[in-house]
Amino acid sequence: MSFLIGCPLCGPRDVAEYRYGGEIQSRPAPGSAQADWSSYLYGRTNVSGVERAWWFHRAGCRRWFQAERDTRTNEVIRVGWTLASRPVAASSDG
Amino acid sequence: MADRRLADPAGQDLRRDEPIEFRFDGRRRTGLGGDTVASALVANGVDVLSRSFKYHRPRGVMCATGRCPNCLVEVDGEPSVRACVTPVAPGMEVRSQNAWPTLGRDLLSLTDRFDRFFPVGFYYKTFIRPRRFWPLYEAILRRIAGLGRVDITARPDLHPRKRHLHADVVVVGGGPAGCLAALEAAAGSSRVILVDDGSRLGGHLRTRTSAVSGDPRIAGLTGVRAAARLAELVAAEPSIEHLAGATAIGMYDGGLVGITHGSTFVRVRAERIVLATGAAERPMLFDANDRPGIMLASGALRLAHLHAVRAGRRAIVVTDDDHGWRQALEFIEVGIPVVAVVDLRPSAPDRALPAEVAAIRARGTETLFGATVVASTGRARVSGLRLRTADGTERTIAGDLVAMAARPEPVVTLAAQAGLPLAFEARLAEWIPVADSADVLVTGHVTGLTDDELICAGAVLAGRLATGDRGGRAAAGHEAHVARVAAAFAALPEPLPTVLPAGRKPFVCICEDVTAKELAQGIKEGFESLETLKRYSTVTMGPCQGKQCHGNAARVTAALRGVSRVETGLTTYRPPVQPVPLAVLAGPHLNPVRRSAMHDRHEAAGAMMMDMGDWKRPLQYGDIDAECRAVHERVGLIDVSTLGKLDVRGRDAAAFLDWLHPNRFSDLRVGRIRYRAMTDDAGIILDDGTVARLGDERFLVTTGTGSLDAVDGWLRWWLAASDRRVDVTNVTARYAAMNLAGPRARDVLARLTDLDVSADGLRYLDAREGLVAGVPTVLLRIGFVGELAYELHAPADRAAHLWDALMEAGATDGIRPFGVEAQRVLRLEKQHAIVGQDTDALSDPRGASMGWLIKADRPDFIGRDAIAALDERGLRDVLIGFEMIGTAVPAEGSAVVRDGRPVGRVTSSKWSPTLGKAIGLAWVPADDAVEDRPIVVRLGTGREGSTAPAVVRTSPFYDPAGERVRS
Repeated sequence: MSFLIGCPLCGPRDVAEYRYGGEIQSRPAPGSAQADWSSYLYGRTNVSGVERAWWFHRAGCRRWFQAERDTRTNEVIRVGWTLASRPVAASSDG
Repeated sequence: MADRRLADPAGQDLRRDEPIEFRFDGRRRTGLGGDTVASALVANGVDVLSRSFKYHRPRGVMCATGRCPNCLVEVDGEPSVRACVTPVAPGMEVRSQNAWPTLGRDLLSLTDRFDRFFPVGFYYKTFIRPRRFWPLYEAILRRIAGLGRVDITARPDLHPRKRHLHADVVVVGGGPAGCLAALEAAAGSSRVILVDDGSRLGGHLRTRTSAVSGDPRIAGLTGVRAAARLAELVAAEPSIEHLAGATAIGMYDGGLVGITHGSTFVRVRAERIVLATGAAERPMLFDANDRPGIMLASGALRLAHLHAVRAGRRAIVVTDDDHGWRQALEFIEVGIPVVAVVDLRPSAPDRALPAEVAAIRARGTETLFGATVVASTGRARVSGLRLRTADGTERTIAGDLVAMAARPEPVVTLAAQAGLPLAFEARLAEWIPVADSADVLVTGHVTGLTDDELICAGAVLAGRLATGDRGGRAAAGHEAHVARVAAAFAALPEPLPTVLPAGRKPFVCICEDVTAKELAQGIKEGFESLETLKRYSTVTMGPCQGKQCHGNAARVTAALRGVSRVETGLTTYRPPVQPVPLAVLAGPHLNPVRRSAMHDRHEAAGAMMMDMGDWKRPLQYGDIDAECRAVHERVGLIDVSTLGKLDVRGRDAAAFLDWLHPNRFSDLRVGRIRYRAMTDDAGIILDDGTVARLGDERFLVTTGTGSLDAVDGWLRWWLAASDRRVDVTNVTARYAAMNLAGPRARDVLARLTDLDVSADGLRYLDAREGLVAGVPTVLLRIGFVGELAYELHAPADRAAHLWDALMEAGATDGIRPFGVEAQRVLRLEKQHAIVGQDTDALSDPRGASMGWLIKADRPDFIGRDAIAALDERGLRDVLIGFEMIGTAVPAEGSAVVRDGRPVGRVTSSKWSPTLGKAIGLAWVPADDAVEDRPIVVRLGTGREGSTAPAVVRTSPFYDPAGERVRS
């Protein structure tokens, strides 16, 4: 792994500066079934394709953000504080 | 020695007036400045540099470019150094590898005679039965296996470094195509990095005396002069950084090029990559094609041109292409007579190369066509070639140098790694990369071209395209160029079919001693696919990583199976292209060190320091018992600066902390402190510490030393994409901290502050801000060590003054600084668990005996449902205190056993001088977590060992009611 990720605040930086925060998922509501908690805590879709995940700019601004990345090519398609909002930057023209 | 050296102008790299003394296998040898270890050895008449991997056959210099395994030697204790690309240095101690007892008489070469015992995949077959002999086989095989030996006591003088470079264009390969592309890109105002593994630029031109055509800057010059001219042009171009003697070892995603440059690992990121990695002659296949003296033609020419070394006196050039005739002429030009040119093709290339063929014949060189090479002759060194001529008769030609000059194979490794598809060009019978992206371009010999003019034109175009001009002139030119290249390929004659070599030792892979015969056997056993055949036979899996044998292995496999090359395919190209010392990949050994603001005070007090994360902390000051006594009886002072400190503030700060913890903080009054333990949604304890409420919307949160980074990240994660109004600031470096502990702590503190620190004015778990010794301090009445204690957080730049003031104020009370070791004893006396030592990734608060802090009567907090589920399940394992019956202190990590089986484990254990007992914390099954319950602890962490009895203690050993800490 050696690709660049565009931090929304700091711009493109080596992936080694970041901590991967896992796929974006929503936390089950309190009182949810054990199966929901179990899948939230331990289940991963591990897509071969475009994944939406959290990233933490650990060695930089220490902000969390979300990125869309193709897990097959490591192409980072879109980043943002949240992907629901308008993308604030992208590290790739692809 | 002198007769092995050629006269000027051969020896471009050589400094003849600079003798260099070194040793090879203990014998003194002399080289010259500019020699490589290999060229110096050949100049000294050394033909055999190594013994082969499996059959221990003698091997000599073959490629002279660092591609093959034949010259791997040990240099000054470093194993498997490529002698042909390592400059010789005065006093070098060079040793041969893989030979016993000596290189000349290697007893293991017997394996060469008994090769029927070492069939392909022999390690799966021969040494399997009878099973009970395996330990014996293993011991012997382990001695024999491997290449070179690692001296684990050696500390090689390596100073690995890392460089990170950025450029618009990186060009790999400094031959004519690479140089021209780099110059063109630079002219297009790109910043260019040019990577070349040669000592100087020029690539194959450096060993070529014939005239170059094509680009006007070099047309008409001899190859050698053209190389020099290109080097001048590159040097004069300020926007090209030339990394000389640097090897691009891999292409990684994100356009990263990994490069080794001496002991520096260079990571280059560029907008565009131009690969001009050239082409390399492949070895030819015939029986005993590995004898010393059998070389790649280019290797022998490199020895001659760069180091003025005559690799032989009578050369036989073997070829299947016009290329061989040009090489033959180069031998003649450089002063090595050619006795014969053996062309495997049926007729002479008189039409293609009339001048060359005539010139060669004019020298009296014999020329043969349609011949097959059957075998080499000779003992250690080659003495000639046995041929089957076109008319079917066999004859032997004498010569002490066999120059293999097959058509060079495009070096596609990096292109393939970069993700370019490879296409099989039928007329070339080679795989060539297809540049299908604007970001990675290929140019030069690697594209399969051999014609100077096309190569020069293509290189200039590649340089132009690399500057980003794709839509303009360059793109149009590119279209025309592609058409010309296609026409050039179409004009080529049909390639020769692969002729399967006969005999016992036609090596396909000289790294692993894999013969064509063994590949045939592997295919017969069902390993038809090249990928599985590779793994079974280990072909292409040796030190050269397939550079010499990948093409031949694919050719031979296709011929053996009777299928096309396309169907046979290739195996995956993976980095690194060249072997890299692990130290170079690892980079410099940099250990960041953090010192607290009081560090020099500790050193002055004779502290023995320990590492805690990046921090240095006093472990002890020379007398742990006295340190414990001081805290219990008088007063002690410990540096706790390494605690993580987070300033959490904002309108929603209290609610946020509530949400993150199983206990509550919104009801914490300003000026009060509460213990915190944090869980995740699986109910696992992540960290613990304290929360001090310094204002309505302001909290000082402390974390463990090692968990700060994770806790800080955790807090920020729950704030990300949320509308909570909370700000988290890491103030760990801003504040130094110390803990003043002991019955006299209050008296000492009172002398330094106007704050009311009386028992009622500052109660247990109170927090205040004010001046102590004139230093603005956050004063927390908390303690980890079971005595009246105050934690003082002060600005780091003034903390040393505060420390001094406390030590001075406490002098009359017998204050002592105490270290981590004493603190560990004292906290264990109180059964205070350390998260991460006494807990692990499966520990929940109830099991860790922290159930009291859970405030579950809330709609939600992180871990709520998990804790509820755990409660429903019931306790399984519980963290309890224990004291030993007897004086033995079990090691931390020892098992708690029941009926001889481990049922729990000791996480902390110490000798308490205060109690005169061995005490500890351990996880035991819940039914054992009962006061006074006898348990059995294994002494030592092994599976065996003696055991000792202990009893469970569920409340603190020292001051169980906690009166002292509240006093």
